[in-house]
Amino acid sequence: MELLQIENLTFRYPGAEADALRGITLTVRQGEFLVLCGESGCGKTTLLRLLKRELAPAGKRGGEIRYRGRSLEALDARTSAAQIGFVLQNPDEQIVTDKVWHELAFGLENLGLPTGVIRRRVGEMASYFGIQDWFRRETDALSGGQKQLLNLASVLVMQPKLLLLDEPTAQLDPIAASEFLQTLYKLNRELGLTILLVEHRLEEAFPLADRAVLLEAGRVLDCDAPRRLGRALQTREHTHPMCCALPSAMRIAHALGAVEQSPLTVREGRDFLEARFAASAQAQPQTQPEIPPEPDDAAPAIELKNVWFRYEKELPDVLRGVTMAVRRGEFYCILGANGTGKTTALQVVAGLRRPYRGAVRIDGKPLKAYGGGALYRGKLALLPQNPQTLFLQDTVRADLDELLALRGVEKEAREAQVKAVAARVGVEPLLDRHPFDLSGGELQKCALAKLLLSAPEILLLDEPTKGLDAFAKQKLTALLRGLCDDGVTLLAVTHDVEFAAENADRCGLFFDGELLSDDRPQAFFAQNHFYTTAANRMARGLWPDAVTCAQVVARCREAKP
Amino acid sequence: MKRVMLRCIFCAALPAVVVGGALLFRERHYAFVSLAVALLALFAFFLRFERAALDVRRLVLLAALTALSVTGRMLFAPLPGFKPVTAMVVITGVAFGGEAGFLTGAFSALLSNFYFGQGPWTPFQMLCWGLIGLAAGRFSGILRRSPPALAVCAVLSGVAYSCGMDVWTVLWADGGFSLSRYFAALASSLPFTAVYALSNLLFLLLFARPIWRILDRFRQKYAL
Amino acid sequence: MNAFAAYHPTVLLTYFLSVLVVSMFALHPVLQAAALLGGLVFCALLQSRRRTAADLAFYLPLFLLIAVTNPLFSHNGVTPLFFLNGNPVTLEALLYGVQIALMLVGVLFWCKCYSKVMTTDKFLYLFGRVIPKLALVLSMALRFLPLFLRRAREVRRAQKTLGLLAAKSRVDRIRGEMRVFLAVISWSLEHAMALSSAMKARGYGLKGRTQFSLFRFTPGDGVLLGVSLALFGLTLAGMATGATRFAYYPRLTAPPASPLGLLALCAFAVLCALPAILEGKEWLTWSFCKSKI
Repeated sequence: MELLQIENLTFRYPGAEADALRGITLTVRQGEFLVLCGESGCGKTTLLRLLKRELAPAGKRGGEIRYRGRSLEALDARTSAAQIGFVLQNPDEQIVTDKVWHELAFGLENLGLPTGVIRRRVGEMASYFGIQDWFRRETDALSGGQKQLLNLASVLVMQPKLLLLDEPTAQLDPIAASEFLQTLYKLNRELGLTILLVEHRLEEAFPLADRAVLLEAGRVLDCDAPRRLGRALQTREHTHPMCCALPSAMRIAHALGAVEQSPLTVREGRDFLEARFAASAQAQPQTQPEIPPEPDDAAPAIELKNVWFRYEKELPDVLRGVTMAVRRGEFYCILGANGTGKTTALQVVAGLRRPYRGAVRIDGKPLKAYGGGALYRGKLALLPQNPQTLFLQDTVRADLDELLALRGVEKEAREAQVKAVAARVGVEPLLDRHPFDLSGGELQKCALAKLLLSAPEILLLDEPTKGLDAFAKQKLTALLRGLCDDGVTLLAVTHDVEFAAENADRCGLFFDGELLSDDRPQAFFAQNHFYTTAANRMARGLWPDAVTCAQVVARCREAKP
Repeated sequence: MKRVMLRCIFCAALPAVVVGGALLFRERHYAFVSLAVALLALFAFFLRFERAALDVRRLVLLAALTALSVTGRMLFAPLPGFKPVTAMVVITGVAFGGEAGFLTGAFSALLSNFYFGQGPWTPFQMLCWGLIGLAAGRFSGILRRSPPALAVCAVLSGVAYSCGMDVWTVLWADGGFSLSRYFAALASSLPFTAVYALSNLLFLLLFARPIWRILDRFRQKYAL
Repeated sequence: MNAFAAYHPTVLLTYFLSVLVVSMFALHPVLQAAALLGGLVFCALLQSRRRTAADLAFYLPLFLLIAVTNPLFSHNGVTPLFFLNGNPVTLEALLYGVQIALMLVGVLFWCKCYSKVMTTDKFLYLFGRVIPKLALVLSMALRFLPLFLRRAREVRRAQKTLGLLAAKSRVDRIRGEMRVFLAVISWSLEHAMALSSAMKARGYGLKGRTQFSLFRFTPGDGVLLGVSLALFGLTLAGMATGATRFAYYPRLTAPPASPLGLLALCAFAVLCALPAILEGKEWLTWSFCKSKI
């Protein structure tokens, strides 16, 4: 049975020159799990919001949306609110009340249900999601993953027939994100809930979906089973930008020309590799990669020696004797789970928190030697997890200009400098926009531009890939590599295993307030069994040190059967 | 019908509570009457807002403005005597009207006392800040146009808050309202009043324009 | 200390209001002593004893200030102790000051207990019965406050690494804090708008909204409510008939001893001791249970 029929839907934002959606026709059957993907700006969020009447943006709409055979506009308000659930990207932006139990009950209160019914439904939902342990907590005390789970639960408690989700995992760490997606899968399989998910983590979303819809410039480019869609995408004459977002297994198989197979999961990918290369891989000589000579003559750019830190006297230690060194011009990635002290370590390096024991040296000089903000003028800069916090003015240009003005730079010189840095980062078209109106990737680039104004020698990055889609991530990566080539030392804290594997010179694992091990990415990930890239998990039986998709593909080509 | 009845009940209850309480607690009827009147006035205001058709965006905005004014109080807590609450209430009253000013003022007092401790002074504080917000809304035209008027308003609201709360002190410390005691209370709180007025002046002159600019952009963007 | 706080908010509010009204507006020394003692014990049950002692020490200057200054302003009374600037300082005024000071300290202790017992969720529940829309505003404000403070800290850190908040002078610090505050303002309003559409998406604004709460009115609640109302009523009856009217001016006059007056005083004393009694009962139950296990 068709739950949702979209016919020739067009949409134009007020004041816009072109349509955001151009004739979308799509049918969603009851019980389907649909993934909506596409580059940023392709209209996927607009489409999703138009499906939820209360969230529909203002603008000119054409075409028809029918929910269970009735036009969306003709639905009564109660049905529309209860039967179509929506979960937004930012977990904080949908939590209304201060207590978890009240948040769960909020939607039901709005529907006007009596207390007894609400009590039962809330209790049932809390049990299903395992929320009972934090049922009476403050919503603010929850972790990001818990918040998003709460949002999902407080939408589901209204018993929707259709669930719309707009990149719900973008702000979560990989473990929480994966749990969230698995929960969706469970809801779909166990309860038959119809799900429409906008997502850029295709690695995990593709294997869950029944169908995937690819949008491009407001049109449906393709709509098919994920396997077939991925195949079609890769066999087009020109490479589509979305190719880099496909699951690793698929990318490897396609790079090797095995178009007809299209493995989706790690397991399928491994079977695919072992079936083809098991024999030849053994015959292959173990190549020892040449280790570049370690220049340890100069003082390291960043050096931590036995650093201990806690937030308050009564609280437990967050850093327990961290010792690490980052060489000049190196790209160093710190990996680790949530709450292991990674971000705190970064803040200690940035001079934002003072350790109670141990030494922090920047360029061989102790941190204290850089008094009165000298550290932040040309020596070191930090890209915070939330780059919006760097901006205070109405336009990006005004913000960059203000920073220079506060440093006492003349007006003409300011303009020239802003222009130069914008050209370097590629944000000239964004300069006159408001920082709040930028997308995640655009904001990240503008933030980098602001930091580069002071020409730092060391750049600290806190979760630089958080919330970015695959395409924006590629652009950011290229930018960071360019900086590294210019001699800037980069120290990043990240959850993103793929990002670290592809870009870092060295990786370190943080656990329980300590840096456990650090090594070149290939050696680092070869040692890990669980905490490693999808490509490595597929290929590790054959080539333990092949970490990125490109490396696996290269090995396969060498071992050509 | 129901509305008329409620209004009648309210009109009857008001003098009944006040007079009855005053007779009952004859020795301290000033304190009682002042508390009862403050509470009832707040209640009447709240009921009025409750009945008005407020849309969702206005409600959330009120919550945000209230939380902001308390956030301000906490941000500037390390600087002694600096409380931007009065200034924030005036700014809100001017930007979003007297009603919003009143609610922000009253709720700021209530909300911050959740953290700093509730007491019999809470209703007075709520009423004081609320009325300042209401007044700011009434004079929003002049306040926006002329900085001198704003400066006068800043000093006045600081003094008004202090004088208002001193009335409370006297009514509570004594069986009746004695003028000599009121003047003594005013004199003893003079340093505080001065800091209040001064910090108000500083906050309003520094803050008002940038915040109004933000709020204007915002009102335009969302057509509030 | 959970036995008392676990009662239904309506019961708790009724209880606190009864105690506070009498202790704020009655002037009988026995009533005041009962209120002060009850408040002190209740407070000590709610928090550590050391904390309560510290509070007591903190209230002492306030006590002295009010007790000592009253005779300076008030010259009523017929028993002059000595003359100051030609004005009599009377015994009655001094005692009256002590009485008022005792009252204030007692009320402060009860308010402290109120804050500890009537947590925000209970307050919001009661407030929401009468004024649901504004209760939601308050609930949202409570949710916003930690969020905004966190945002302010984030902005402050980010601005610090741009080298902008390093200045040491006070004016510069104010300016720096102001920049942070402005950033929080513009962000928070955007946040509020996003939230309001999320609320609409979940059906806020539909007709006939109900109020949900976790609180349930049990027979035990009914008993406590009845008992407190009865005790409160007895006290009020005593006050209304003048059986507990204690006059300070022109000279100290206690009302003639009457059964009703005595009953009223006892009733209020019991009312003030109720939390301690319930707590004691709870403690006995638990020790008994434990000994059985």
